[in-house]
Amino acid sequence: MSSWRPTPSLVRASLLALGGLAAGVVLGLEALAVLAAPFVVIAGAGLVGRPRQAIGMNTRIDHHRLHEGQGTTSRLEVDDLTGVEHVTRVAAPAAHVACRPTYGAVGSLVSEGLPTIGFSPRRWGRRSIGAERVALTSSWAGWRWGPVDMPEHGLSVLPQTAPYDSRAEVPQPDGLVGRHRSRRLGGGTEFEGIRHFATGDRLKRITWPVSLRTGELHVITTRAEQDAGVWLVVDGLRDIGVSGGVDGAASSLDLTVRAAAALAEHHVRTGDRVGLLVVAGDGARVRLGSGPRHLQKIQGTLARLRTEARSVPPERLDLGAGAGSVVYVLSPMLFTPLVTATASLQRSGASVVVIDTLGEQEEGPDRLALASLAARMQKIERDDRLRRLAAVGCPVVPWRGPGTLDTVLHQLARRARVPKVRAR
Amino acid sequence: MILVPPGMSWPVVVLRGLLFALPCAAMALALPEVPNGLVLLLVVVAAALWARSPDHVAGAVALVLVVGWWGLRAVVDWRLVVVGVLLVVAHVTATVLAHGPGTLPVDARLARLWVGRGLLALVPMPVTYVAVRGLDPQLAPPWVWIVAGVAIVGLLVVTARLTQPEPE
Repeated sequence: MSSWRPTPSLVRASLLALGGLAAGVVLGLEALAVLAAPFVVIAGAGLVGRPRQAIGMNTRIDHHRLHEGQGTTSRLEVDDLTGVEHVTRVAAPAAHVACRPTYGAVGSLVSEGLPTIGFSPRRWGRRSIGAERVALTSSWAGWRWGPVDMPEHGLSVLPQTAPYDSRAEVPQPDGLVGRHRSRRLGGGTEFEGIRHFATGDRLKRITWPVSLRTGELHVITTRAEQDAGVWLVVDGLRDIGVSGGVDGAASSLDLTVRAAAALAEHHVRTGDRVGLLVVAGDGARVRLGSGPRHLQKIQGTLARLRTEARSVPPERLDLGAGAGSVVYVLSPMLFTPLVTATASLQRSGASVVVIDTLGEQEEGPDRLALASLAARMQKIERDDRLRRLAAVGCPVVPWRGPGTLDTVLHQLARRARVPKVRAR
Repeated sequence: MILVPPGMSWPVVVLRGLLFALPCAAMALALPEVPNGLVLLLVVVAAALWARSPDHVAGAVALVLVVGWWGLRAVVDWRLVVVGVLLVVAHVTATVLAHGPGTLPVDARLARLWVGRGLLALVPMPVTYVAVRGLDPQLAPPWVWIVAGVAIVGLLVVTARLTQPEPE
């Protein structure tokens, strides 16, 4: 609970005014009276301007869910501003949150409106913003209410959807809706070809112009309209590198989460069903689904992702109905069990694409330092793992944003048409 | 090397410099008469502390020392008015700066408001100066001093009463 208290300015002015006048009269020092005269005005005006009411105030932010890089505004609400002349707000610094003004301190006269503070989260995740101190000052800076500590607000920051678009067909689609062309023939509307009539063909499929011209019955074949089941496997076991937020360098987890968000948005936008499996200490799983609400669910799950030093990689990736789907494994591939699990998934018949999210890691200045040596050894081991993974037919591509996967997906789509033996 | 703390704007730095310089300048006005060394030292230290933290009690100490020294000198000349102006400017500057931390930019509208208030506060000073210079206290009837004394005691009591925090 706060109250109106005299400011140091008022105390100073009162001291000079009364002390100067008293000493001037009592001791007969005229110079003191001259010097004290201005402070009588300031002290008097400050004393008279004391507000009487108790102040209730709170803050609110315009948004509780943002993408990294977007901004929101924190607004102050005060129930009674009678006698209040100036409002000062000072926001506490928060990790990966930018403020406007830069250092979070803002003040204005009440007659000009209450000051606002802009916040912009620079990294995905759960952020706390709006912890601040607020002080109200009466007229002539005589009295001050506060500073009062205001509570913070939780903000869910969704990963920035890196611009990603792919014109490649997703291999092995299953289901019956969506934009991608199916490799299966069926009762769709998209033209596939014309062939001779065979027993069992529907009469409405007969193409009479061709049949009359050739003298034999021909039918039109079409592609089945199918949607692709796309699984995103996100490695949240470790975060390598230092995150500079949306404007700076990206850590491996930044790349992973942003790439997953971009892929999810792309596939949901094209009508595919998308599922998410988070491999982390408190792993999460989002079933296959489609639509904007499902996309928000995936992005929200990604925003809650946290790494834990003690989390261990799984021996196998349990995707349920994963066979027949396209599986993107987004990982820096630093753990052998995860590589083994990916290879198992590939052997079970799914089209697996590994997206390398280690990114460009800067080496330390001293190449012979222990940390630098360890990093190089780890990189050699990782490259070996990725080579083995590629050897079993699992393409590995580093995430580079737009068009990252086009070539690989085209190749996979072609390969998927070739009969193959599945290991069970 | 720039010694400005991070986040502090140049207007704030300039005003803080002014806060340090003004009490020192008020003492320097006494030249060629040199004030007591201890008083000078205390004023400089208090002014430095005040510039560092405009809400600090050192501000009151600096002003009281300057006012006290000039008052005890008991010479009413033009320099007294200049000293008064310097002290009011210092007080107003500190008040504007004390509205927030060092990272709070100086609000131009607030500064303009306080410039006006400072000028208004300076109005009684030349009047008092002229009165002190023009009137002979020896000719004043004795009850004037009694009334003045009672009025000041009354003001002290009222101020003390007003500055008491209200029960929560």
